[in-house]
Amino acid sequence: MSRWLAVVSVTLALLAPARARTRPRYGGTLRVETRSDPLKPPDGIARKLLFDTLIQVSENGDLTPALATSWEAESANHRWTFHLRPGVHFHDGSLLTSDAVVQSLAMACQNCDWRARAAADTVIITSEMPLPNLPAELARSAYAITRRDGGGNPDGTGPFRFTANSNGILFLAANDDSWQGRPFVDAVEIYENRPIRDQWLDFTVGKADLVEVPPELLRQAQQQHMPLLVSSRPVDLLALTLSDKQIPNEHLRESIALAVDRAALFNVIFQKQGEVTGSLLPNALSGYAFLFPTAANPSRSRELRGAQSLPLRLSVDSSNSVLQLVAERLALNLRDAGWNVRVVSQATNPNAELGLRLVHLEAASAASALRETMQDFGPAAGDDSADPAALYRSESMFLKSHTVVPLLYVPRAYGVSARVHNLLLAPDGTPILANATLEDAR
Amino acid sequence: MSLRQRLLVVFSLTVVLAVAAVAWIVSLRTREAFTEVNQKRTAALVDQFRREFDAHADNLATRIDNLAGSERLSRIAFDLAQPGGDASLYLGEAASLARDYQLDYLEIVSTDGSIISSAQAPARFGYEEDLHAGGSQPTFLKKEGLPDGRSEIGLFALRAVKSAQPALYILGGKRLDRGFLANLAAPADAQVLLYPVLTSNFDPSSLVSSSSEVSQPDRFKPLIEGAQSSAQESRSTIFLSDSREDSVDATAIPLKAPDGAVLAVLTVANSRRSLVELQHHIRAISYGVAGIGILLAIAASLWITSRISRPVERLAAAAKDVAAGNWDAHVEAASSDELGELAHSFNYMTQQLAEQRERLVQSERVAAWRELARRLAHELKNPLFPLQLTVENLIKARKLAPDEFDEIFRESTETLTAEIANLKNIIGRFSDFSKMPKPHLEEIDVAEILRKVAALHEPVIAQHQPAVAFRCDVPDGPLPATADPELLHRAISNLVLNALDAMPQGGTLKLSAQARNDAVELRVSDTGTGMTPEECERLFTPYYTTKQHGTGLGLAIVQSIVSDHGGTIRVESTPGSGSTFIVELPRHQQSRAATTGLGAAGT
Repeated sequence: MSRWLAVVSVTLALLAPARARTRPRYGGTLRVETRSDPLKPPDGIARKLLFDTLIQVSENGDLTPALATSWEAESANHRWTFHLRPGVHFHDGSLLTSDAVVQSLAMACQNCDWRARAAADTVIITSEMPLPNLPAELARSAYAITRRDGGGNPDGTGPFRFTANSNGILFLAANDDSWQGRPFVDAVEIYENRPIRDQWLDFTVGKADLVEVPPELLRQAQQQHMPLLVSSRPVDLLALTLSDKQIPNEHLRESIALAVDRAALFNVIFQKQGEVTGSLLPNALSGYAFLFPTAANPSRSRELRGAQSLPLRLSVDSSNSVLQLVAERLALNLRDAGWNVRVVSQATNPNAELGLRLVHLEAASAASALRETMQDFGPAAGDDSADPAALYRSESMFLKSHTVVPLLYVPRAYGVSARVHNLLLAPDGTPILANATLEDAR
Repeated sequence: MSLRQRLLVVFSLTVVLAVAAVAWIVSLRTREAFTEVNQKRTAALVDQFRREFDAHADNLATRIDNLAGSERLSRIAFDLAQPGGDASLYLGEAASLARDYQLDYLEIVSTDGSIISSAQAPARFGYEEDLHAGGSQPTFLKKEGLPDGRSEIGLFALRAVKSAQPALYILGGKRLDRGFLANLAAPADAQVLLYPVLTSNFDPSSLVSSSSEVSQPDRFKPLIEGAQSSAQESRSTIFLSDSREDSVDATAIPLKAPDGAVLAVLTVANSRRSLVELQHHIRAISYGVAGIGILLAIAASLWITSRISRPVERLAAAAKDVAAGNWDAHVEAASSDELGELAHSFNYMTQQLAEQRERLVQSERVAAWRELARRLAHELKNPLFPLQLTVENLIKARKLAPDEFDEIFRESTETLTAEIANLKNIIGRFSDFSKMPKPHLEEIDVAEILRKVAALHEPVIAQHQPAVAFRCDVPDGPLPATADPELLHRAISNLVLNALDAMPQGGTLKLSAQARNDAVELRVSDTGTGMTPEECERLFTPYYTTKQHGTGLGLAIVQSIVSDHGGTIRVESTPGSGSTFIVELPRHQQSRAATTGLGAAGT
């Protein structure tokens, strides 16, 4: 972990003098390239530009007002009242109302255990269960306030508004009436579904201002002296999931968990980026992650497996070459332990016995992050307490079933061109483009 | 079967058998010759593919050599040789180098045998690779496991990276698959098949071809398994369908690992289509020529058999004519061979026969006239003698008294009158025979005619001494027939009188009739003295008689009447036991007309 912190420090130190020489200017078009769909929830890069949440997480992880100026809990966290910010307009000019907020929340959370209703300038959320972490949950981009305009285009209250989406390019323009103030750049062009190789080529020739740097290539980018922005903490959890329905024997699941060699994944595939973890949370967030063992134990794995030779399928997103490589390595680990494993595509084998998943961690607090992560892996009764000991017990109980085997936490990183200034990353690793300025702007 | 047909069959069979034998021998020799040529061609193809395979192996070795000497790998080797050198930095290097050097397999391996980077199985980093798998061979075959659990067979080369201190090895190779086969130059009608030995049992789906999908892969199973088990090259002709054209001459070459294990079987299949089509073409021409030859031979046989049999047939026809009474039959002798001589002999024979017949006719005619003269003399002599005696008595009686003379004159005139009447009667019978009337046909009942004859003659027969018993066995019902009733009555009466004359010592006379198919059969039988066969033969000859007082015309007249009615008459007789005359009359004159052509006989 110290290595990537050093990288961040060095990178920021390199960028700082350049930024110090200029003051913010308005104007210009920021060109961003991404491998994915920028509008895809929950963490598409354009979502935070177009939409706002009721509450947002500050750089230091605190919950701060956004579309909701204040909120309070009643009835032992069974009822929450959120007061909407007045004078906020959607990009089409219509006023943000509590009805619009309720409608958006209903769309985002169809299976939630709480219900929202509009009341004047407030939104009231009630639940039969206490919801102590509801503000943190609503800070997630999944609960951003969104809607569609008359043309079916995405409409929000964010610092940029949608203008067009053609030829794989999403065109956004600065929202002059943004409640956060107008962004510095006039427009953002987001090139969708661009392979990393093409992104880096465009970056090299100056056709892109912001490109993605996957963790496995972060070291290579450093060797190539690419100006980098790296998330302050690892934000993506790589985990192996085991179906307790198809592998009901807990010992067999433990055998699989013990066969996994995390060190090889960390050292070779991810080039020592991020951190090896046996926990659902990064150590920097929880403080107790080191308590979960991470070492492989093939002999114990074989011992637990016994004579079992159940054929296993390990499903993976085959479009992601790194995840495919990780899956193949895990399959080798399991074969060494005597398991008969076959790597299959997640798209064609949604019910495989094993799965490799990459989960994005958005929450800034340990309790929220743990709840969020456990929910990502399936229904789990989490402890809403913020006490680290309680969180540890809760996570230990969850991981004891060996239905989820955390492997690695990896950071997010971006290459940033020299013409971009004041660009920072949010705690969840997404770039805050609204504050960025361009050196060659008018 | 006629002589001509027999000759034709013999000639045709001979020619057909000869042509068939020649065609079979030509076909057999052609097939053997083509098979030999095809085997040589297949062997040449196999040699060519061996050279091609070796050339590809050399090419691979050269590529791996170049890669081992590349600056890129030398730099990696140098970096890793430095203290703290991190092999993980080069995880994707093998895949990149494999793309650049167009290799299917490439592994960068450290000196301790652990994989640094693998193009085909990137996840195998850190795993051990056997650096001694290839022995001392520059290139070798190896079974390579893939991440998805499958295995492939590849042609590999292992080289140390050329640097100051060898810190790396590279193990690169090409996959033995359809693409590899496609790069081997193959003639259009040759097919190269590769069967990687990945399972213990033959898997038809693993058999790949250089050009297209392998049709009927199971047909190659025995050949491939034979090569696999014996680890020796084996050959076979494989029929891919029921059609002979769809077959190949296949040679299976086992591809072995350095330890001798058969990892794959390369099969060079040389299509036999052109060969078989050429054979069919030649066979079709042979059959065509043979067919035309057979037709020509049959035509020639027809001509020859006609030439041979025609004189014989002429002789046979002439012989038939002679047998039918045409003694003037003549055979043209068209050749001077044995058949010509035979024709000359036949003509001479018929000429001699005609002359002899003429002589015989003349002598018979003379004999007939003599017989007629004798009969006439005999018949006329009997009445003339009393006439002479009576006239002489009259002359002598003139000297007698008038009373006596008158008495003698009266007796003499009576005698003269009676004898003259006898003479007239004799002359009348001869006249009747010469002027036999034509029958006036009408529908009659033959039984009725018989009853009338019986009624006419029964009193006379009853007074006959010694006694003759008469039996008339006629059906009660009618026996209709078309005939002249008077002539038929006369003929039957003649036969009855004849029978009565044949029994001077008495006996039994039987008259009977019965219907027989389209005819009426009449039988007149006696129990008299009977006749010899010679007498029977001459019985119906005019003027022939076995009686002392007969003209010999009675039976001739009967035969004439029966013949005019389209019937037949025959006699069955045994000396001492009597005779039976059998007359068959057609019941309808239409049938007679149809059989004799005398349609207007009754008119």
